[in-house]
Amino acid sequence: MKPTAPALRSSAARLALWYLLILVLGVGALLTGVYWATERTLLVEADRVVEAERQALSENYDDGGTARLIMVLNRRSDDWGRLGAVYLLADAQGVRMAGNLAAWPEDVQRSGDWLEFELDARDNGVSTPHLVRARVFPIGDHQLLIGNDMSEQQRLVARLRAATLWGSGLTMALVALVGWWYSRRVAGRVQAVAHASEAIISGDLSQRLPRNGSGDEFDQLTMTVNHMLDRVEHQTTVLRTTFGSAAHDLRTPLQRIRARLDSLLPVDEPTASRTAPLHEAVSDLDRIQRTLSTLLQIANAESGVAHQLQPLDLVQLARELIELYAPVARARRITLEVDGDEAVEITGNRQLLAQLLVNLIENAIKYSPDDGGITVRVTRDRGGALLEVRDQGRGIPEALRNAALLPFRRLESEPQVPGSGLGLSLVAAVVRLHGGRLQLDDNAPGLIVRCEFPAGAP
Amino acid sequence: MHATPAVHRMQILLIEDDRETATYLVNGLRQEGYAVQHCADGRDGLFAAIESAFDLLIIDRMLPHLDGLSIISLLRQKDIRSPVLVLSALGTVDERVAGLQAGGDDYLIKPFAFSELLARVQALLRRTPGEGRSGSVVRVADLELNLLSRRATRDGREIALTNREFQLLEFLMRRVGQVVTRTMLLESVWDLHFDPQTNLIDVHISRLRQAIDRDFDRPLLHTVRGAGYVIREPAAG
Repeated sequence: MKPTAPALRSSAARLALWYLLILVLGVGALLTGVYWATERTLLVEADRVVEAERQALSENYDDGGTARLIMVLNRRSDDWGRLGAVYLLADAQGVRMAGNLAAWPEDVQRSGDWLEFELDARDNGVSTPHLVRARVFPIGDHQLLIGNDMSEQQRLVARLRAATLWGSGLTMALVALVGWWYSRRVAGRVQAVAHASEAIISGDLSQRLPRNGSGDEFDQLTMTVNHMLDRVEHQTTVLRTTFGSAAHDLRTPLQRIRARLDSLLPVDEPTASRTAPLHEAVSDLDRIQRTLSTLLQIANAESGVAHQLQPLDLVQLARELIELYAPVARARRITLEVDGDEAVEITGNRQLLAQLLVNLIENAIKYSPDDGGITVRVTRDRGGALLEVRDQGRGIPEALRNAALLPFRRLESEPQVPGSGLGLSLVAAVVRLHGGRLQLDDNAPGLIVRCEFPAGAP
Repeated sequence: MHATPAVHRMQILLIEDDRETATYLVNGLRQEGYAVQHCADGRDGLFAAIESAFDLLIIDRMLPHLDGLSIISLLRQKDIRSPVLVLSALGTVDERVAGLQAGGDDYLIKPFAFSELLARVQALLRRTPGEGRSGSVVRVADLELNLLSRRATRDGREIALTNREFQLLEFLMRRVGQVVTRTMLLESVWDLHFDPQTNLIDVHISRLRQAIDRDFDRPLLHTVRGAGYVIREPAAG
């Protein structure tokens, strides 16, 4: 009942989470694509340059032989040559003939036709390893290695990679933050509505759902619900006033009848047969009054008017009432006992709960066979309480159980048992007022009436 | 100790708008020896209550011009402390609580028997001087309750009582000579403000009677037909 659902059960949080996932996937795919394309482009470009060089150098070789090639290579290795170019001309035995490499490279990694190796180069007087990507071409009897210093590209790619990771991470964090804020906001409003609704459910019909005046969909919904509550409150007020006046208008004439009967009853001859009808009329009057009281109590409990609630021990209350009924039960040799936990505290209206228990115990005694057993069981149940009254009477056939809870519904097979047919209705109304659930079950033989009261109810 | 002095007749103010009920109550109470003044209107009733001191006020809740609970609140604000018995057609538990919170001392739901009203009137009138009698021993004739040790003895012999029987007996003994109704017992001893259908109190009283009167010649606990029960000092001799 309390709106303190775990974060992931909030629909707003779930929505935000999906949103985050999709966005991160999208941004991730985009940045990875850019990264990958850039890396490829740089590589292809470098390879193209090497291929162009090879063609130029092999033309030079064709034109002027080895000498010309060495000359061109030496010239190109000078400062004004291509930046980052790496050349090495070696004879068939791998002995260096020309180029800007001191010797044939060691620790070479092959990737297809390409070689990759590291070279120590001097940058501002510090020796750092540079990655070189090169290809070896046979030219005449010689081996010509043409390559590129890839460190510049590598740096670029590294920066790009960092940007990709940071970009994705930041996006993720930002979206998560916005999602968290949004779901908090939605949850906050839902919680406010839930709190107000709870107050209304527990009987304060004058409560309205809080509006924030923004006119958004929440606000519109709130407005509609508030309109609905206006109507409910109006109807309840009408109903209560009607019941109030009905009570007054019925009880006052009943009082007069009672007064007249009282004045007719002689004080000193109590058992004269002449006055017997008068005594019967008085007990009829008492019965009418009781029925009226019960009806009003049901109406009152059902109308959701705020009742005085207090913490109370249901076990203690059950014990007191069991003790009250013990002599009556004993007269018919019915065992009447309380069972269950030591103390079960709930928040409720003592008088109404006592009335509930009295009705159930009276019913149980009424329908129990002599020598039967009645158990009132009170146990703690998920923070709330479970109250069970079991008898060994006839029980109620399953098909009739729902109808048995309605006012004036009595089982047609037993017109001889006295009662108004309101007992279980009042029980149902009291359970409902406490936010609980009522269930009738089979005790084989007999009836189990099971009342569940929620934690912290109502 | 508890005999009403004949010189001073108890003054009762009845504020009730239903003429027939009022006549019935006024006649009944006068027959019992009380001096009764009647007002049929809330405002008149309030003025009457302020004007002269009454020993007891009986006020209906629904009255023309000024409702019963407002009268009580106004009187209590003026520091008029006479006990008030509220009569009402509104019978729910919370209405009763509202009546008592406004300053009423007892609450009676219509329709009621005159005997019920009378018993409550007597209880309220008796209460004023004797309230808070706090001795640790309550005694009627040779029956004695020790409230500290929770022991009951009659003629020096110990009587075994359950807790509830002890409470019941204490309630009756503290009102010796005064009729106590079943409803009053349910309210005070069991804290139940509704009438269970079974006649439970009779059963409990008969068990109590077994315990305190069976072995003795002179019974103390009596049934008053159509009204309730009373514990009486046996007539001397």
